[in-house]
Amino acid sequence: MRTMTAAGARKVRSRTWTTLADVMSRWAFMGPAAIILGAMLAYPIFYTVEISFSRFDLMTFSAVEWIGWENYAHVLDDYRFWSSMKVTLVYLVFALPLQIVLGFGIAFLINADWRGRGTVRALFIIPMVVAPVVAGGIWRMILDPLWGIMNWLIGLAGFAPLDWFGDPNLAMAAIVIIDTWRWTPFVVLIATAALLSLPRDIFEAAEIDGANWWSMLWSITLPLLVPIIAATFVVRWLGAVKMFDIALAATYGGPGGATNVINLFIYEEAFRSLRFAESAAMAVIVLVLTMVLTGIFLFGTRKLEERC
Amino acid sequence: MSRIHEAAGSVSRRALMAAAVSTVAMAAFGGTAARAQDGLGTPEQPIEVRMIANEAFANQWQTLMVPEFNKAYPNIKVTIDGVPYVELLAKSMLDATGPSPTYDIIIADDPWVPQLAEVGALMDLKSAEAAAWTDAGYDWDDFNAAPLAAGEWKGVQYGVPLRSNMLMMFVNKALYEKAGVPVPTPDITWEQYLAQAPKLVQDTNGDGKVDAWAIDTYFVREPLTPTIWQTIMNSNGGSLLDENGKPAFNTEIGIAALETHKKLLEFAPTGAVSHGFSESLQAFRQGLVATMFNWGSVYKGSAIDEKTTTLKPDQVGIQALPAGSGGPGAHRGIWNGTVSSKSENKQAAWTVIQWLSSKEGEAWHSANLGVFPARKSTLAAKPSVEWLGPVFVGLQQAYDAAEKGKMWRIRHPRSDAAQQILADEHSRFMAGQIGAAEALQVAADKIEKVLD
Repeated sequence: MRTMTAAGARKVRSRTWTTLADVMSRWAFMGPAAIILGAMLAYPIFYTVEISFSRFDLMTFSAVEWIGWENYAHVLDDYRFWSSMKVTLVYLVFALPLQIVLGFGIAFLINADWRGRGTVRALFIIPMVVAPVVAGGIWRMILDPLWGIMNWLIGLAGFAPLDWFGDPNLAMAAIVIIDTWRWTPFVVLIATAALLSLPRDIFEAAEIDGANWWSMLWSITLPLLVPIIAATFVVRWLGAVKMFDIALAATYGGPGGATNVINLFIYEEAFRSLRFAESAAMAVIVLVLTMVLTGIFLFGTRKLEERC
Repeated sequence: MSRIHEAAGSVSRRALMAAAVSTVAMAAFGGTAARAQDGLGTPEQPIEVRMIANEAFANQWQTLMVPEFNKAYPNIKVTIDGVPYVELLAKSMLDATGPSPTYDIIIADDPWVPQLAEVGALMDLKSAEAAAWTDAGYDWDDFNAAPLAAGEWKGVQYGVPLRSNMLMMFVNKALYEKAGVPVPTPDITWEQYLAQAPKLVQDTNGDGKVDAWAIDTYFVREPLTPTIWQTIMNSNGGSLLDENGKPAFNTEIGIAALETHKKLLEFAPTGAVSHGFSESLQAFRQGLVATMFNWGSVYKGSAIDEKTTTLKPDQVGIQALPAGSGGPGAHRGIWNGTVSSKSENKQAAWTVIQWLSSKEGEAWHSANLGVFPARKSTLAAKPSVEWLGPVFVGLQQAYDAAEKGKMWRIRHPRSDAAQQILADEHSRFMAGQIGAAEALQVAADKIEKVLD
């Protein structure tokens, strides 16, 4: 009995030690990543949240006094915040679907086996590696009403020159065009990879059954691509919602506030007006909204994947 | 013998006394001199001074100005970090409020001195400490009042003008002559200017298309654009704030000035509503516009330097902006040299700034880099290069106008926030989204809250 107890105790000790060693080894792997994430990601976010509820003292450059929701009240009372949110929404509504449709459309077209396809794919990467400020500056020159090549081409076609950055609607169109020029290649790359990974046997079976090009696209390709399209949409959504550098370089947020997207407004309030507390409050609002919408999109993506 | 002894004793005592006196003197003055020398470095132990400045001119200063300064002060090593304008204030504030700032010298734009001074970041340049390091020949009274006032806040002098910029009117005389319009004189009024403007929108090569316009300047949504409106308003007797620091621009004069600024668009190149500093400069230097309201410092690159302009020196005129009921217009844009209050090299830092703002430094700066001086004596003297002659005349006129009409941006610890509000509302008006009265009303309400 005593021997049994000792063996049992040894067994329990051994099991405990094994569990402990297992936990420790897991944390040994996770620890560095957790610490880096905590320092580089979580701390700035929590600090931003702290500033958003505080009075920011420029003398010490830190949050000094807890003032509750006061900064949020100021922000929500500022028509410029709501105007920037509206501008951001308009930009997202036009830019995102355009990039997804164009990206998958181009991928579908260049997916056929033709000479020089590799070169074209490589060229597609160029806009992605151009710095956004440079892209904005180049497009500002292209679209310049006086010197730009775009209006020259429009003139050759017999149309009157367009004031791309002077008209609020055209300025928004310019931002959507520049952003689409930059990011459609990214969608093309993902879509091309997705198209290449589609199972060939289904298409061969459909061909034997007499399905035409359109039937195969509509009934096979698109349904199979839906999860990829949804995932690409979420990735682009997260990128697009952060956009401000193109607007800063191309239109300065104008004319009026026509292209003053929310992140440009936050940047200006923080670094030009030195209103760090109000800017932090706006950043937190945008963060929460983005998280909620991303959650909804991810939920939708999962549902689409389950259906497929 | 005793006389000899007495004489010897007397000589000895005198020698001892002289030796004692000289020792005391050396201890007193020589020690001070040694300490002063320490503050300015020695060949063995040079002092390193770091400066934060706008990237637009930081590199030019590092490569041209610092070697010139080192001819006079070889033991002070100056390192200049250039920062983009939009980030300069925030970075300067962040550094200056830290426990051990990196920068000994902060080059602050016109409206930033109150913001930096209010957080205790700057040293009083007229304090007893600074006075002990100030050269006896450094003449404070020689500065024009308007540029010197840019470095002052609540009666304390925190900065001195190093790059004295003024918003001025540039004239392409060739386009005036081609249009058969008399070249403007410094007395031209806004009414006369606007009456001439339609004639300056012209087809210069006879192909049936307009290829030259009357004006280009700031119209785009950015903080410097309202300075044009403000100059028009100031020259007509209006002001940004009243004596209590409350917005005073929402008046008939302010509204009329805003409408005048928008009217300029009728005589400006296509798409000028999105033009700012660079675009208007490009248009002027390519000979497309008869006038340009821009910062005077671009004169050299617009009239003299063949690499950057198509115009010849005799084609380009420079003067104050047209006159309103109160006189001609201008707008102050001074880059101030300031010393960090936490610097460990205050003496060396102040020496750098002092040299650059001295009569000698200003003369070198304007002759070699085309930078405008702030001293009356420099402006009154015969410049070392011929092209500076008419520029100095125009500049003195602009200083006088700015001083008379208080033509500068809001001076307050939150001046940049106020300026951004002005830019937002001004741009909405320019884009036709709201009327002039509404734009100024919204701006006044918001600025009152911000400055409160």
